[in-house]
Amino acid sequence: MALLDAAGISKRFGGIVALEDVSVAVAPGEAVGLVGPNGAGKTTLFDCLDGVRHPDAGEVRFEGRRIDRLALFERARLGIGRTFQRLELFAGMSPREHLLVADRVHRADGRLWRDLIGRGRAGATVGRVEELLGELGLADVADDPIETLSQGHGRLVELGRALVQDPLLLLLDEPSSGLDTSETAAFAKVLLAARARRQTAVLLVEHDLALVRMVVERAYVLDFGKLIASGPVDEVLADAAVRRAYLGDLP
Amino acid sequence: MTQFLSYAIPGLPYGCVFALMAVGLVLTYQTSGVFNLAYGAQAYASALIFYVCVNAGWPNWAGFLAAVVVGAPLLGLAMDRFLYRFIRSAPVLVKLVSALGMLIAIPSVLQLIFGSGQRLAPPSLWLPPGSVYFHVAGDAINGTELSTVIVTLAVVLLLSIMSHFTQIGLRMRAMAESPRMVQLAGVNSERVGVAIWILSSFLAGLAGVLLAPLFADLQALNFTDLLVAAIAAAAVGSLTSLPFAFWGGIGLGVIQELLGGYLPSGTVLSSGLRPALPFAVLLALLLLLPGLRERWFHTDPLAGCDPPPPPMAATIGGYGLERLLRVVGCLVLVVFFVSCLTWVPANWTFTLTQGLAYSIVFLSIVLLTGMSGQISLCQASFAGIGAFTCAQLATHFGISVLVGIVAGGAVAALVGVVVALPALRLGGLALALATLAFGLLADNVGFQFSWSGNGDSGVNIPRPQLGSINFTSGKAFFVLAFLALGVCAAVVVAIRRGTTGRELAAMRGSELAAASIGVNLTRLKITVFAVAAALAGVGGAIFGSLQGAVSPNDFNSFLSLVFMVVVVTTGVYTVEGAIEAGMAYVILYQVLDYLPSQWSNLFPILFGLGAVTYALHPEGLVEWQKRRVIERLVAWRGNPQVVA
Repeated sequence: MALLDAAGISKRFGGIVALEDVSVAVAPGEAVGLVGPNGAGKTTLFDCLDGVRHPDAGEVRFEGRRIDRLALFERARLGIGRTFQRLELFAGMSPREHLLVADRVHRADGRLWRDLIGRGRAGATVGRVEELLGELGLADVADDPIETLSQGHGRLVELGRALVQDPLLLLLDEPSSGLDTSETAAFAKVLLAARARRQTAVLLVEHDLALVRMVVERAYVLDFGKLIASGPVDEVLADAAVRRAYLGDLP
Repeated sequence: MTQFLSYAIPGLPYGCVFALMAVGLVLTYQTSGVFNLAYGAQAYASALIFYVCVNAGWPNWAGFLAAVVVGAPLLGLAMDRFLYRFIRSAPVLVKLVSALGMLIAIPSVLQLIFGSGQRLAPPSLWLPPGSVYFHVAGDAINGTELSTVIVTLAVVLLLSIMSHFTQIGLRMRAMAESPRMVQLAGVNSERVGVAIWILSSFLAGLAGVLLAPLFADLQALNFTDLLVAAIAAAAVGSLTSLPFAFWGGIGLGVIQELLGGYLPSGTVLSSGLRPALPFAVLLALLLLLPGLRERWFHTDPLAGCDPPPPPMAATIGGYGLERLLRVVGCLVLVVFFVSCLTWVPANWTFTLTQGLAYSIVFLSIVLLTGMSGQISLCQASFAGIGAFTCAQLATHFGISVLVGIVAGGAVAALVGVVVALPALRLGGLALALATLAFGLLADNVGFQFSWSGNGDSGVNIPRPQLGSINFTSGKAFFVLAFLALGVCAAVVVAIRRGTTGRELAAMRGSELAAASIGVNLTRLKITVFAVAAALAGVGGAIFGSLQGAVSPNDFNSFLSLVFMVVVVTTGVYTVEGAIEAGMAYVILYQVLDYLPSQWSNLFPILFGLGAVTYALHPEGLVEWQKRRVIERLVAWRGNPQVVA
């Protein structure tokens, strides 16, 4: 059974059809790519999958359960982690605090009265967070304010913030955007290592086809809100229609 | 029809003034991104200068020149050059707080210069108010009304001619569409911005001078109400459309008078709702108009998020120093406590107990604004709800005041939830305006009923009694307030340390990211709003019991604004900040009381200007100074040889 199964997703903004009858599925532990030119609807599809937006039609199932009416935070609690194309970090916090917050939200039920009687502090998790900081290569900058860090570090902090909650599925939205080659390579290395350790399923939106090839086994191609190809990543990227979508009609 | 007209026509002059203000507000908001809350103070400034000039024997035209043509733009330009220019890309909280500081400081500066006595019968700009020119549908149209309408029409005509047929008009319209695109097109947007600022200040001054004679005397408070009416009118056009803002203003003025005519006279609704209509309209528009709601999410992507607070003074010196500071803090507390019970004179104990009650109210601002990044401008109203609940329970049901204080907090929390529920989807500016409107509604309608605040006559709250322990004496009540503050501070500290505090910090940093890690923003916001309202309610009830009697005037919505700037000045991020704010508030008041009455204006000036520094020192002036002292201490301890 698929971990994530989205069928017939459609979404329109006014007269613009952003997604039309798109179906994607991710099996447990599988890494799947989602590629397509700018404006193809990749981020909109992500938003519909994790609840930032609600699709006009179609259904989303996670572990067999309908989730398309659930809010973003509810889906996060079911085990869907997410990173953003435009970084969404917590202003004024250090990388360590980012992970601690995510970890605490994950473990505690967040009821106010627990805080008031001093039971809001979940068990000792500092060790886990330290370990993850090391794994991400953020140990040196763990206490710097997030504003002072590079985009590359920001991506890693977002990845760590999702990973610390032990998600079953990670939605990564263009992690290489805004990064230089070495930063992208570092990110890919961390991501591959994390996948090797945890077998987290990944759905990756990415323009950097080298990164896509490195991480995923299977890929979908979106163009103008429609799925135009899917299959093993090498076949898909060699497909004529895909090349046309990216590069235009070749003579 | 005749009756309808006879009710509607007296509304036109009000409508004209609202419309002028609304147009000016939209102009500057669209072009500079600063929502100029000080706009009401600008209108008041011109009205006051005009009054002073005419009373000094100047002809009206000279007063007009001084107040509106020269004075108003000068004031506006000064504010833009020295303040707003620097905070255009600042987070919404910084902009709001700075403008709020100006709104509170400017009228007091003027009263310090020109004296603060009562000013009766403000002069009419042009035609004499006494003479009646003609009758429409049975309404006698007097000179003030006629000149207001004529001047407004003339100005609007000139404005539209200018914006359609001149270079600068074209550029201004382009700026209103997109300041960035104008810059990219090679226009000196700074210069156009200055022109717009002059124009909008002129409109404020004109509106101020036109509005003044419509009231019996010249009061700064009328202009705060005018400001909110103008905001409501601007909200009709989603804060973007000039024509809609204009017609919104006219419509508001007319409907206000219609309501006065058709509502049964002599009830709280007719006396309260008529002046409060703009607030109700603003609240309704904010909550219901989808275009307006959407707008808050499409803010300038280049605007920063709230600046990260610098490390708290107590944390920079390392663990040893932190422990030392804690010991010093405890010592100060003990000395304070013992002193108040022994040698401090009774009137000062009373003052300091007031400070304790205010500190509890101010804790709610620390929780909401400092810890959660939400801005509420109705905390004084929540304090009032707490006080009136306690009073009503004690006088009508004979319920113990101690229980009443807790009940006051609970009722305030309930109302807080009711306010928070619709306001949840709003953030930043919209939430600030919605809470401001709610506070004004509470003032004008909610607190006027005999079962709530009982209007001007107010309500009595006895001092509490617990079995054989009697809190009627000043010292006993001081102990009670001290303990209550301790409990409330402990609650805030527990929230900060607990999961909720971490979630709040995350929400403050990025709402989207907080939701993506599983934070339930809806529940979180309702919780924090309710707890803050409860704190304010408890503080208000204790304040009321200390005073013995309170009226809605003790909790008017202008006080909410003052509370905000006071806490922001001392330190909005820490529990100590709230306590320092409470103490500074009452002590300064008491000290200024010893000085000649004119100097009481220093109070709003100090805190108003203090709030302006929020842009530079978001942690608060007191906290900033503390940090400097500790940094010096650390440096001195670190390298003693350098100092030697």
